[in-house]
Amino acid sequence: MSTIEVNKITPVSGGTAIQVGESGDTITVPSGATITNSGTANNFTNYRPNAKPFFINGSMAVAQRGTSFSQPDTNNDAYPVDRFSFQTGSIGVYTSTQEALTSGDAFNAGFKMAARIDCTTAQASPAAGDYFWFQYKSEAQDCLAWKKGTTSATVMTLSFWVKSNKTGTAQVNLRDDDNDRMVCALYTISSGDTWEKKVVTFPMETSYPMNNDNGTGFRFEWPLGGGSTYSSGTAPTAWEARIDADVAANNLAINDSTSNDWAITGIQAEVGTYTSATIPPFQHESFGDNLLRCQRYLEFSSDYGATYTSGVNSCVIMDMTSGSHPLYFPISYNTYKRAAPTMTFYNGNDGATGTWRTNAATDVSISGTSISSQGFTTNSSDLGGDGRSSNGTWKAESEL
Amino acid sequence: MIDINNITNVKKNKASGVFDNTYQVTLSNSEIITVPKNEDNIDYQEILKWVADGNTIQEDD
Repeated sequence: MSTIEVNKITPVSGGTAIQVGESGDTITVPSGATITNSGTANNFTNYRPNAKPFFINGSMAVAQRGTSFSQPDTNNDAYPVDRFSFQTGSIGVYTSTQEALTSGDAFNAGFKMAARIDCTTAQASPAAGDYFWFQYKSEAQDCLAWKKGTTSATVMTLSFWVKSNKTGTAQVNLRDDDNDRMVCALYTISSGDTWEKKVVTFPMETSYPMNNDNGTGFRFEWPLGGGSTYSSGTAPTAWEARIDADVAANNLAINDSTSNDWAITGIQAEVGTYTSATIPPFQHESFGDNLLRCQRYLEFSSDYGATYTSGVNSCVIMDMTSGSHPLYFPISYNTYKRAAPTMTFYNGNDGATGTWRTNAATDVSISGTSISSQGFTTNSSDLGGDGRSSNGTWKAESEL
Repeated sequence: MIDINNITNVKKNKASGVFDNTYQVTLSNSEIITVPKNEDNIDYQEILKWVADGNTIQEDD
């Protein structure tokens, strides 16, 4: 085999194209060689070892629980969109929402929804233990592509769109819950009230492998505020055993004024190192595929968007036998759950929990039995007469 | 999802007179939920913490 050694091949004068070989030829790139996109080359197929996007609902399109939540000045979580939560710990009062986008660069990039939080009662001087962050938890068995804890551990690139009235630099944390370790990256909001796309990278350590199970693996946190317990340290750019003081060392203090808000959408994670010029495009899923993936962690029997807490009739059981007895009725979920879920039963008349309404306008207690990842069986009190029915709605939740 | 501080009462559920490995949990906002006895369920993990704090699970009445 002859060898040609040159540094550059260009088209002949006046031309713009180069052809290699002929139709039917085999062009071989030797093992170990790398083909690199210099940064802006077009039609470059990006290698994605994960068939589906790593983040479930990274487009913020699915919001099964509702679209607006009040977060009082206590410790509480709110999921304005599925899989992502705002966690506020006695650090003011907030309204978290699924925000519909109608303009801006994120909208122009194809995103119609965002998760947003608005401060409605400020806490400019939080107590030491107060906390405030946006969070996503993944299953450990879904984090294998980054090969953490092996000699082949691969960098993770995280990309997201963010908007806030506040400018400045903040951290985003990548935590390994199995080993209670963390690392962070910094991002800067340059212009207030403007959607900006951020691309950051996390190193991946070759030690501390993660479990291969349905428990929490990678946990992502965007700290938005916090007392000294969480903010008095230093944001770690190398993996370390988690230190509370480092978790929110760089935050935007969204808690310090009722003028503050923060919103995010288009969250994606990639295997390998990318820049804002080379990051592959966001993998948009159909709404149905996205919803089905979300239902591994949360499912309602009622229609999407139904106000189940006000009384919705989405499921009926009927007593077709004589005598007084409990009613057992097996039900399967739409999709397999992460773990046996917590069941909540909402009354079809008023949305109260723990009872269903009969067609005789009485309420009977109901719970679940034989609860598994695949389905459950209703355990209803006697309906009060042969041929009677009861109705209501159920929720199955198996979040991390 | 529940928080240990929001648990008011936990009671064993029974099916056909036998404990069916689920618990009826009443929360401070009066909401009633059914939690399976499953260590992967984060609400059951909160119940275990609640018991470790000295609280008692009631038998079904």
